[in-house]
Amino acid sequence: MARKQQPEFDIEKIAAMAGQQATPKKVRLATIWLSGCSGCHMSFLDLDERLVELAKMVDIVYSPIVDVKEIPECDVAIVEGCVNNNEQEHELKLLRSRAKFLIALGDCAVTGNVPAMRNQFELRDVMRRGFMQTESTKRVGVPSDPIVPRLFPKVRPIGEVVRVDFYLPGCPPDADTIWYVITELLAGRTPKLEKPKLRYD
Amino acid sequence: MSPKKKIVITIDGKRCEGEEGQTILQIARANGINIPTLCYLEGLTPWGGCRLCVVEVAGNQKLVTSCATPATDGMVITAFSERLTLLRKRILELLFSEGNHICPICPYNKGDCTLQQRGYEHGITGVSYSYLYPARPVDLTGKYFGLDHNRCILCGRCVRTCDEIEGVHALDFGNRGIRNQIVVDLGKTFGESVSCTNCGACVANCPTGALFDKAAAFQAPLVSCQKVVTICPECPLGCGLVVYTRDNRIVNVFGNKESRINGGHLCVKGRYWTWAEPRNRIKQPLVKLNGSFEVVGWEKAFEILRDLYKAVPRERRILLISPRLSNEFGAALREITSEFKVVGVIGARNEGGLVGTAELQPDAISFLEQADAIVIVGAQPVRDNGVLAAKIRVAVRHRGAKLLLFNCRRSDLDQWANISAPLVSVDRAFWKNVAKTISGVKRVVIIYGPEAITPIGLTVFEKLSEVVESSLKRGEWVKSIPLPRSTNILGLASHGYPVVDDLTAFIEGVSPDLVHLVVSDEPHGGVQWLEERGLVDLLKKVGAIIVQGAYESTLTELARVVLPTPIWAERSGTYTSFEGKHLKAERVLPLPSGVKLEEEVLKAIFQKT
Repeated sequence: MARKQQPEFDIEKIAAMAGQQATPKKVRLATIWLSGCSGCHMSFLDLDERLVELAKMVDIVYSPIVDVKEIPECDVAIVEGCVNNNEQEHELKLLRSRAKFLIALGDCAVTGNVPAMRNQFELRDVMRRGFMQTESTKRVGVPSDPIVPRLFPKVRPIGEVVRVDFYLPGCPPDADTIWYVITELLAGRTPKLEKPKLRYD
Repeated sequence: MSPKKKIVITIDGKRCEGEEGQTILQIARANGINIPTLCYLEGLTPWGGCRLCVVEVAGNQKLVTSCATPATDGMVITAFSERLTLLRKRILELLFSEGNHICPICPYNKGDCTLQQRGYEHGITGVSYSYLYPARPVDLTGKYFGLDHNRCILCGRCVRTCDEIEGVHALDFGNRGIRNQIVVDLGKTFGESVSCTNCGACVANCPTGALFDKAAAFQAPLVSCQKVVTICPECPLGCGLVVYTRDNRIVNVFGNKESRINGGHLCVKGRYWTWAEPRNRIKQPLVKLNGSFEVVGWEKAFEILRDLYKAVPRERRILLISPRLSNEFGAALREITSEFKVVGVIGARNEGGLVGTAELQPDAISFLEQADAIVIVGAQPVRDNGVLAAKIRVAVRHRGAKLLLFNCRRSDLDQWANISAPLVSVDRAFWKNVAKTISGVKRVVIIYGPEAITPIGLTVFEKLSEVVESSLKRGEWVKSIPLPRSTNILGLASHGYPVVDDLTAFIEGVSPDLVHLVVSDEPHGGVQWLEERGLVDLLKKVGAIIVQGAYESTLTELARVVLPTPIWAERSGTYTSFEGKHLKAERVLPLPSGVKLEEEVLKAIFQKT
């Protein structure tokens, strides 16, 4: 089991600073950013002042916006992006094994979306195009260092790698929709996605 | 016809009345039960391909497609149940996982896509099947539209539209199984296709973003646009248009389904020439000074124009107007006709003769739709009146009507014609053959265009009437439908303006020193007239040419003064159709600043308010 690290930015401290006493039993929330444009995380940050509200209810224990190196045990995991390489697959599987409830956030996680457009091409051609044929990368060549994560021949949405408990499509989903889903889940209800909350674009 | 037998069926416990011969779906919709569909489209043969409309019929173990199953009296139907909803969800998931439906990069993403709508309606958030991510091509070679096979769900609406509405059947299915795809002309691209007429009806009926209009892509979702219902400015048929606009520009143009003339269908002219052609708009008055154009204000332009007019006596001035102008323009022009030796409407070759002799047929379209023999003399419906050509193709190919072409130029109609005689020989054997071809027909329509008013055309016409009338019996009919080429030539001619169909002879006859041309928004800037008749050299000799036009062209290059005019969408007015009906065109866009109405400018030149 991974050792739990103390986050540099303690969300409880922030809540305390806001004059709020953190409740003892908070939900542990992790978010992860795989192959995506970070737009879904931006949309998450678009919760704006509701983030303070959220901080009263959850601890964000792992996230691109939290400096924690290892994936801890958590109650809810939110995944942005699809699975492009072996590192992402490893992280996703690890997250799944440590999360009680996993949400696919945004079209990349749900369908593969834009990153999956490369699935129409041979991996070799994709690499050549990306690392050799563009103006800025001509001389670099395709990286071959074993430390660099290895791209899979096909991009997969996360549902094809791990079990997903809730799909929240959208490119990106609105902050309002994210808020609705999180608050419904925290209230112990299953969110009902219908138009206009349900969107694929 | 005897009235259809009434039947009663029960759908989800609701008593629904319908007529014998109606499908379950038709009765359901008429009774407010909205069974979801994708491949079904009113006006096309039911296809039963998408399976979204499946329903349970009591006593029948199998599910049936409601779009393709005729209802019978006493049927008990379940249209919505847990099982059906689950099946529909699975069907949609299969469709989503089979293609590459990447909504964020699709021009139809914000509410224009039926597949997306169905996904929302059925609450599809994720797909339980593996995505196939097939490598499918994109065909962008078409002039006005593209076909992205990645978004195609093979509903076949385009195939049926092309076959049953436009009548050319350029589209069909190719390959089998998972490789099944829409093909153009048995495997060509849209750019190479010879049978595609660019009517764009397939695009209008595509439920996804597979077929999309290039000029409209990513401009604005149609659901966010304003809609204006008006009529088409491109030919005298007077087809109904629905124009989608946003922020004072046209986003797309579709046919008006309510229109008696076109019933929602359009040809390439109405669908694309009206908005999708790249053209350079003239926005301010231009005056040629020292060989190059300079932008001037309207006051300065009027000053220069008045000086020009003063220098030329009335007998040496002529005014030529475009046949696209409205009857209101024709009426307003009366006040200033005295300032010119002649005011003429520019017509196509021989159009003057046609307009002068035509007996209009007020119900021409319905006669055409009933006809079992269609005779065309000296008209080019494929080039000039695409919607009429579509109706002819459908009549011939699907209703088995006979088609006889005389003195017409080559077109795709030739391949469907029983007799196609570009140049008519008048020997007895030929006419015997004609008589044999039309023997047994009951309802004949003779469509005649400008080329019918030539010596050859008239001979044909005479002979034809003789043959047709001798073969018809009591109660059978023959109707002659005149078909002019220019939009409002009938209307303007009825205001008393002569139709100038031989510009060369006309200009040589008057030898004017000043020619004022109101070309308005002619699709080619009015150049078509010049090129068709080799007029450029003739106009170069004229001292002063004044052009009122919306677009830059070689004609405006020749002008001394160029004045901007509105385009069709920026003015309202009435137009006289080929049936003699006065059709009202609505203003779609506001008049841009710096542009004045043609009649106002003409009045201002002569200071008549």
